Amino acid sequence: MSSMALADSRWIARGEERVSLPRFLAWLAPWIVLLAIGVYAAGLCLFYGLNQTNMDNRFAFGLWIFLDLGIIALGAGAFFTGFLVYILKRAELRPILNTAVVVGFICYSGAVAILMIDVGQPLRAWFTFWHPNTHSMLTEVTFCISCYLTVLGLEYVPILLRNRQLRKLPSFLVFERQLHKLVPVLAAVGTLLSFFHQGSLGGLYGVLRGRPFAFREGIFIWPSTFFLFILSAIATGPSFLMLVVAIVERVTGRNLVAQDVFRRLGRISGVLLGVYVAAKSIDTLIWLNFTSPSEGFAPWQYYIYKPFGTPVLFTEIVLFGLVPAFLLTFPRTAEHRGWRLSAAALACCGVLMNRFVMTVQTLALPTLSFDEFLSYTPKQCAYRNLQSPDRDFASSQPCRA
Amino acid sequence: MSARYGMVIDLDRCTGCGSCMVACAAENNVPALPQATARTGITPMLVRKASNGKEGNLRREAFIPILCMHCEHETPCVHVCPQQAVELDAATGIVMQMPQRCLGCRYCMTACPYHARYFNWWDPAWSAGMEKSLNPGVATRMRGVVEKCNFCHVRFHAAKEKAAAAGRREIDPADYIPACVEACPTGAIRFGNLSDPNDPVTQDARSANAFRLLARIGTEPKVYYKSNEEWVRRLAESGGQSDSPTHTTRIPAQQAEELHV
Amino acid sequence: MKVSRRDLLAWSAGAAAALVATPVPWKLLDDTSIWSQNWKWIPQPSRGPMEVKHSACTLCPSGCGLRVRTAGGYLVGVAGLASHPVTGGALCPLAFAAHQLNWHPERLRTVRHRGVESSWDDARAAFVKACGEGPVIVIDGYPGRAASVVMEAFGNKRGEYRAFQGTEWKVLAPYTRWSGVPASDLGYDLENARTIVSFGAPLLDGWGIPGRFTRLWAKRSAGQNEPELRLIQIEDSLSRTATRAWRWIAVRPGTESALASGIARVLLEEKLVSTQAPLPDATVSEVALRTGLDISTIRELARMIVAQQPAMAISNNNAPSIAALNVVLGAVGERGGIVRRSRAAKSYQDAEAPISSARAVVLDASVPWSFIPKTDAEVFRFAAWNGGPTKADWLLPAPGFLEELSDVPTAPTASVETYAVAPAITQAPHTTRSCAAFLASADPSLTSAEKVIHKRCADLYRARVGALHSHQQVPVARLETDSQLEEQLWNGSVWVGEPASGESILCALKKWPADDADSPVDSHQSWSVPVMPALATKLYQESGLRESQGRIA
Repeated sequence: MSSMALADSRWIARGEERVSLPRFLAWLAPWIVLLAIGVYAAGLCLFYGLNQTNMDNRFAFGLWIFLDLGIIALGAGAFFTGFLVYILKRAELRPILNTAVVVGFICYSGAVAILMIDVGQPLRAWFTFWHPNTHSMLTEVTFCISCYLTVLGLEYVPILLRNRQLRKLPSFLVFERQLHKLVPVLAAVGTLLSFFHQGSLGGLYGVLRGRPFAFREGIFIWPSTFFLFILSAIATGPSFLMLVVAIVERVTGRNLVAQDVFRRLGRISGVLLGVYVAAKSIDTLIWLNFTSPSEGFAPWQYYIYKPFGTPVLFTEIVLFGLVPAFLLTFPRTAEHRGWRLSAAALACCGVLMNRFVMTVQTLALPTLSFDEFLSYTPKQCAYRNLQSPDRDFASSQPCRA
Repeated sequence: MSARYGMVIDLDRCTGCGSCMVACAAENNVPALPQATARTGITPMLVRKASNGKEGNLRREAFIPILCMHCEHETPCVHVCPQQAVELDAATGIVMQMPQRCLGCRYCMTACPYHARYFNWWDPAWSAGMEKSLNPGVATRMRGVVEKCNFCHVRFHAAKEKAAAAGRREIDPADYIPACVEACPTGAIRFGNLSDPNDPVTQDARSANAFRLLARIGTEPKVYYKSNEEWVRRLAESGGQSDSPTHTTRIPAQQAEELHV
Repeated sequence: MKVSRRDLLAWSAGAAAALVATPVPWKLLDDTSIWSQNWKWIPQPSRGPMEVKHSACTLCPSGCGLRVRTAGGYLVGVAGLASHPVTGGALCPLAFAAHQLNWHPERLRTVRHRGVESSWDDARAAFVKACGEGPVIVIDGYPGRAASVVMEAFGNKRGEYRAFQGTEWKVLAPYTRWSGVPASDLGYDLENARTIVSFGAPLLDGWGIPGRFTRLWAKRSAGQNEPELRLIQIEDSLSRTATRAWRWIAVRPGTESALASGIARVLLEEKLVSTQAPLPDATVSEVALRTGLDISTIRELARMIVAQQPAMAISNNNAPSIAALNVVLGAVGERGGIVRRSRAAKSYQDAEAPISSARAVVLDASVPWSFIPKTDAEVFRFAAWNGGPTKADWLLPAPGFLEELSDVPTAPTASVETYAVAPAITQAPHTTRSCAAFLASADPSLTSAEKVIHKRCADLYRARVGALHSHQQVPVARLETDSQLEEQLWNGSVWVGEPASGESILCALKKWPADDADSPVDSHQSWSVPVMPALATKLYQESGLRESQGRIA
């Protein structure tokens, strides 16, 4: 073990102690299990096709798309923090910048990986670049997210290059110095790209004429959901960052970031959340009273199905929107760590709920007058196969004559 | 001279026999997969059932064949496909799906208000030897792509080839008849060129009893329906009577006023 | 020059970055997507010369006209034949996937002897042995064909020939009892009726010749407020026909025949008809109680029926009171009613009669799968498709859809005589044999189906009656040779006889017939294909349009 310690010690940051191997593996175990499950589920989908999920023709978008959108919204902390630090010169947020980039990189690379599994023909994914459709929000999303992932990758590289061993390579050191000069440019580009793709993800639903529950009017070619998604993303991104750092602090047992940074993040989040709630409320009222009826759909039609009644709307806007906005801006609660973190959690729930409502509820609601309200329960491949491996598995084998 | 092909479906004549569904599936080489369900199967033509919401001897039902409406204005699926795997053909007005280019993102399926698009959740397969009975003109698809009705576009091509062989530019309308139209025993489904004012289908589409489903959404579908029954015409817009057990749509009278066009 | 580890690292990183600028990754990307468009395990359609042939469907006695497409000798598509004089191109839903039936997973291809695979030689040997040891009963599910003549000849020589008469025959049996006219000479003159009262008969959903009434109804009734043809459906539930009918009268289940008696009573009491007939026993109020209708509704219904004449009652039920209602309506032997279309009816021994003694029983492929002869004799069961568990010693694979030469005699319910020929359009698997051919192999003195068809064509030519219908109508009298007639038939023309002469049929009704109390409607189809095309089964299941079972793959 000591020889291993010697070999490793060059790679580990100064002042850190290596834990024992069993303890290390024990810490890794849950993640390896999760990774294995994920790889297995992904393998099933890639090999057998998307019949392995519980999606169908009426629920063409399911759990994974909703999570995709949710992850991207929560990962907005990355670009927004970069924007605040490099463009708005808010240097007090610098300590959290690296975390934001790491979180962002994980979120976006995860989202792209999930997307590649969630499409029917991943090998044709590049067709979007070759035959782009300028009218489609999804083309925009594809381009921007690909570019942004590249930007995130480039922003991530300096973190890797901090490594003691790698720093010894002169060419890498030079590269890192050059990259450093580029970072403000990357931050600006990242902000622009993120603005557009966060918005276009909202635009994905807002342009759906055929789904009056999701359809919104807007400004020029951009429906109101374009702006609402951007607002909700930048409002909750910082909250998510706060939560992540707090969890890491709790788990590692050390203070990584000054409380002041948390307070500022909380305040930014709270103010933006307030703006978002106001905008969303106005938008909802316009939609309920003008947009939807003009398409022939009365508002009460959307909320008569259990469990998607008006409490859902209330929960999303008030409980998960107005309440955390208040908690994060009202001095007494904003100063208090516990309240701050609870509010951050509520805000994250809010953005997830919003993405869920736009993805799943939109598809559940009937459009044709003789349609029914539909339900969908996501099927996690691995779980289902553990339940009844032979029966379900056999029924989903591809029929190869 | 470009055409705008469309349909008028007379719901007073549709008996719900399902001939159109079978003929369409046979023409388009749709597989019969035992593991597919009502929500995962491929039915480019699907006959739905609607009722007037009453019970007992006052109950009436209507059968509504649903297929791609070949929308003309801001066609939802054409607008949203990230790689232009579907296009509104200017020469015929047909919204053409290209499964070979489709990535399988299913965005078009969420965009379609008529649920007229179907995903290949599995690879197609037939019982041993049955592939010998497949329609030679139509390519089989693979899993992971979306497909839908395309007004039997292969038959249009055949009609064009026939006209070209005879030295004509325009096809003979009698040579281009989609499978469902040909199969319908009561002639409920009629197909024609909506650009041609003399086409009886065009005249039918303009009649007082003709309507389009969800016309208020504004996609300008080219499949019209018609009925002499008012309760059937009211099915056009959401909020028409339905007695689905999972929900009721008893519209308060005041709102009913607002909704009807 | 010493290459250090660092150099290697730097070089690798540079190479990785530069690779993007080469065509390699892009070409690979393109190749993979092309691969995804050409997966070898996705079945492709046949290739080969394409032809279009006109023929007739042999899956049921309706014999609807077909336009069949073939590619490389295989059936690849079925559509209706617009020039068919009776169906006019309309078909039943199953026809459109019938070309896939020959590949159905339940298709029989091997001889089986008590569950064990055997051979034709063994079957023939066993059969020849059986013929030498006792009487052989041959049962035919679709009498009147050329193959039936062969089977009948064999049966008469070696034992017995029996035939399924079908539901229609049972429904028309009361007229035979009252008038002496054989049921198989009778048909329904739907084309000239102006009011049709259907007692539970699925007129728009497969009754009779599926395409005939639907086309008629579409032209003369659908969607019209004052239709030329009034369809009144009497049924306990909202069937497809009921929901499209001009009027739907909802009665309690099993009370249709009671209502018929009630209507007849009103017609006679109120002198709404000029026919003389005995009064039904039940009073209108008794009928009202049984059926759940108001007395006034029954009276109104009776008036409605005779308001637009000719009026006719149709039922899927063999309750004689409905037939008696037709007598009261004056619809028997009249235009727009039950008409006599021929004088050629043969009567057969009923297939369902008890078997007293037999050494062997042969069931033709046309016999309904659900029919199991009550006998201990050796059963030789011909079938193209396996319909499920059955009791047969020998399961013998027969040719399937359009795989062997057949002919189509006049369909039940037709108002005119027709004749068509359905040649073999695709090749039958070499392991199949028809019942007629099998019998002929046991008795070479028998004629063959082809010879019978040839003779029938010659007879038709000599009779100089009727016309051949294809793109044009050619009266037989104008043909020059009998081979011309035969050739036209082989190419898909249909011979149609003269329309019914309108001679009245005298029905002697002494007393109003008694019905069993609340007898349920017998909508059991006595003739049906053992399996539905897999595609049709799947579509009905997915759409929920009909109940549908059956193996799909």
